[in-house]
Amino acid sequence: MNALRELPAWIRWPLYAFIGIFLLTVVQSISDTERLTQVATSRQMLRFAVPIFLAGLGGLFSERSGVVNIGLEGMLILGMWFGAWGSIEFGPWWGLLIGMIGGGIGGLLHAIATVTFGVDHIISGVAINILAPAFTRFLSDEVWASPTTSPQTQSVGTWDVPFLAGGTVFGWESPDWLLSISQLEVWFLSDTAQLARGLLRGTHWVSYLVIVLVPATSWLIWRTRFGLRLRIAGENPQAGAAQGINILRYKYVAVIMSGVLAGLGGAFISTELSGLFQGGNSAGRGFIGLAALIFGNWRPGGVLIGALLFGYVFGLDLRDLDGTSSHAMLLVNTIALAGVAVWALKGKRRSDAVMAVILGSLSFIWWLSTETVPSWWSDVLPFVLVLLVLVFFSQRLRAPEKLGAPYFKGSS
Amino acid sequence: MSAAIELTGITKRFPGVIANDNVNLTVEKGEIHAICGENGAGKSTLMKILYGLQPPDEGTMKVNGEEVRFSTPNDAIDRGIGMVHQHFMLADQLTVLENIILGAEPAGPGGVIKFKEAEAHLATVAADYGLTIDANDLIETLEVGERQRVEIIKVLYRGADILILDEPTAVLVPQEVEALFENMRDLKAAGATILFIDHKLEEVLEISDSITVLRHGKTVASMPNEGVTAHDLAELMVGSELPTPATEESTVTTEVALAVRGVTVADDDGRPAIEDVNLTIHKGEILGIAGVEGNGQAELVDALIGTASVSAGEISLLGEDITKLSVRRRREGGIGHIPEDRHHEGLLLEAPLWENAALGHQTQAPYGSRWLINRPGARQQTEAIKAEFDVRTPNIDVSAHALSGGNQQKLIVGRELTANPTLLVAAHPTRGVDVGAQAAIWEQIRDARANGLATLLISADLDELIGLSDRIVVMFRGKLVATVDPDTVTPRDLGAYMTGAASQNSDEGAAQNSDEGAAKNSGGPS
Repeated sequence: MNALRELPAWIRWPLYAFIGIFLLTVVQSISDTERLTQVATSRQMLRFAVPIFLAGLGGLFSERSGVVNIGLEGMLILGMWFGAWGSIEFGPWWGLLIGMIGGGIGGLLHAIATVTFGVDHIISGVAINILAPAFTRFLSDEVWASPTTSPQTQSVGTWDVPFLAGGTVFGWESPDWLLSISQLEVWFLSDTAQLARGLLRGTHWVSYLVIVLVPATSWLIWRTRFGLRLRIAGENPQAGAAQGINILRYKYVAVIMSGVLAGLGGAFISTELSGLFQGGNSAGRGFIGLAALIFGNWRPGGVLIGALLFGYVFGLDLRDLDGTSSHAMLLVNTIALAGVAVWALKGKRRSDAVMAVILGSLSFIWWLSTETVPSWWSDVLPFVLVLLVLVFFSQRLRAPEKLGAPYFKGSS
Repeated sequence: MSAAIELTGITKRFPGVIANDNVNLTVEKGEIHAICGENGAGKSTLMKILYGLQPPDEGTMKVNGEEVRFSTPNDAIDRGIGMVHQHFMLADQLTVLENIILGAEPAGPGGVIKFKEAEAHLATVAADYGLTIDANDLIETLEVGERQRVEIIKVLYRGADILILDEPTAVLVPQEVEALFENMRDLKAAGATILFIDHKLEEVLEISDSITVLRHGKTVASMPNEGVTAHDLAELMVGSELPTPATEESTVTTEVALAVRGVTVADDDGRPAIEDVNLTIHKGEILGIAGVEGNGQAELVDALIGTASVSAGEISLLGEDITKLSVRRRREGGIGHIPEDRHHEGLLLEAPLWENAALGHQTQAPYGSRWLINRPGARQQTEAIKAEFDVRTPNIDVSAHALSGGNQQKLIVGRELTANPTLLVAAHPTRGVDVGAQAAIWEQIRDARANGLATLLISADLDELIGLSDRIVVMFRGKLVATVDPDTVTPRDLGAYMTGAASQNSDEGAAQNSDEGAAKNSGGPS
């Protein structure tokens, strides 16, 4: 693991992708499913992953500044409603912007409660999560005369990448290379092409933005004055204050940004994915975003990996009507747990290794003894995944030092 | 040439206390000036005033000959004054460089930090003052001494040439202290002025050019470090008038209540906070622990009441090994505890008095049984405490924070003593209470002693320690360094032991001594 970490980013990232796809391909070739590497699977993954990532990235800003943000779900819901409303009233891009503002207002509320009044972060977050669905329901009733759904929204739309995925350039339809490769039906190579094509064809504009946000956030957090001060607010606010930094201001900015990003995620769900506002469409993706944040060790790239991982499982679940794909995922679990066991043994963490072996064996026995799995299993799988990650990786995770601690000006 | 710092007639009052009373201090340029005094002598307040954290009520301050008035630390920094806090202000997950530049980051457009420029400036500063540090290490990988160096460089990076070091050696092991002194000499050679607070006399004498001694908020002496001995300083710090101890008949028996054998407790960093401590307290005896705060007293209390686990040694109560028992079992077994900080450890401030009275005894009659609280019993007992210990309150249903400090403390003392403990661990039992409550608490402890209570008394108040104790042991750097008789001890000796200027014998000797002392006091055969 450490050797991996020392590789430069441009080798490391493709390597992660290679390992992941290879694992899926191997499992698929000894299973009864073809969905693990289909175009539609990776497309679904992305559709789920983008809001999760945006919520997680929002959480990153908030938590880096020391404020726990369990209210991401509520802010995402606010973004959903305001995004839909803005899109219907003013047009698609305005929808996204107004959705961001809606989420930002949720963030502001959280900031006022936690930063100014020192309310417990969890309590304030839960309050926002309760408030947001009720408030949007009320607004829907007032504005659209229907508490649950809105009229059709306008969408910013999608874009196909030319050459790789057959996008059009000035009206000319370019070749679709990835399609050609996938039609070759070469083991692994075609699988990779299919998964890649799902990411590049019919992809929402917002999804491309997400790719830009990863390096942009990293740069902001680690290279700029704003980032350094944001981090000190979460690591040791007293030390920052002793150097004359206005800690409260940075916390405010961070928590509001957190709401803005979650709001963008919400607006993406209502305007781009569903095409309307509908209560309950958030499907808990704000919470999953928080899990992705923890999985990603409070780093932008890690949050993206977490979002893609959870998005994949959700996306697969959606398409897995007969339970064969989730059945194949049992084998993926087994192999992953075996990897964890080896890694834990190397690190001389015996209890972790034993637990990984037991869970891996159970997963393997289940896979051997059945042909399909019940549908509830694929519903809970993402959450099981989150728990497993926290169990095995928590010692390596490093939350900001003063995360969740109340801070008052002049306190020490 | 004008002095680097000149303070005249500085007075600072807090409600009920005068922290600084007409303090004068002159620090010449390029010297190392030590400020010593006991805890509560007003050193820290004076430094906070100088660093702009608190304004003085009266008095004038001059820096490099110019009169100044600071309202924030930034004003002090602008005048070239930097402070190195005793508790480091560093973020563990940030690099050395990030910690140092924080708040003074050289940044280009868009707020992009010019890390290269910062690193170059840091290298220049470090080279100028002869300090070495690796800019890209994470703070969490550094030793305590290195972290302190980062704190010093942080101050120098901002251009300060007058440094205030607040008890810099308190957190260091001896080798690190040597390294710090080496750095301080280099800083001085490079032209810096250093003002440092310390109460370890041999250190003060080793490193300083001049010394100012504070006692009870007043300047008692200011002199160059020539021909001064540790004993002189100790006497200045403690003061020469000591109260006559209350002469009372000894109630010490030969029956051992508490025996502590070779107990070691490690602190968070794994260093021994107390090491190989041996103690014996007999029934009817009050054993006083003298020592400057932070020399292991708190850890000793934790070990006795069971909130810290001991890494070596054995504790026994009435001959029964309690080393591994839980806090509750120990309390049930007869250990009472008056905690050092009544708000944090003694009371639930939001809870009514009768609940507070039941705290720690909730499993015992009359407060309750193993599973249930006996409300009438608890209330009745609380009424009894209220009457017997003169807790002034309208009723026992008011919440604890409504009481004055003295009445809160009387409630705690009452709670602990009505349970008839074998051993009472009393940490600063009268700290911050008014004179009346103080006298009442002393009386209660004396009465309990007459009934056979063994008491471990920790106090920063020497009057209290000498007046109440049958025997005093001195704790220094986690070890018991001396046993003295309160009837005959001189302030000079006590001060010297407390500050490490003298030591009597090894701790095994102290233990032996304690047994002999008890036997002698009680008149029984040894």
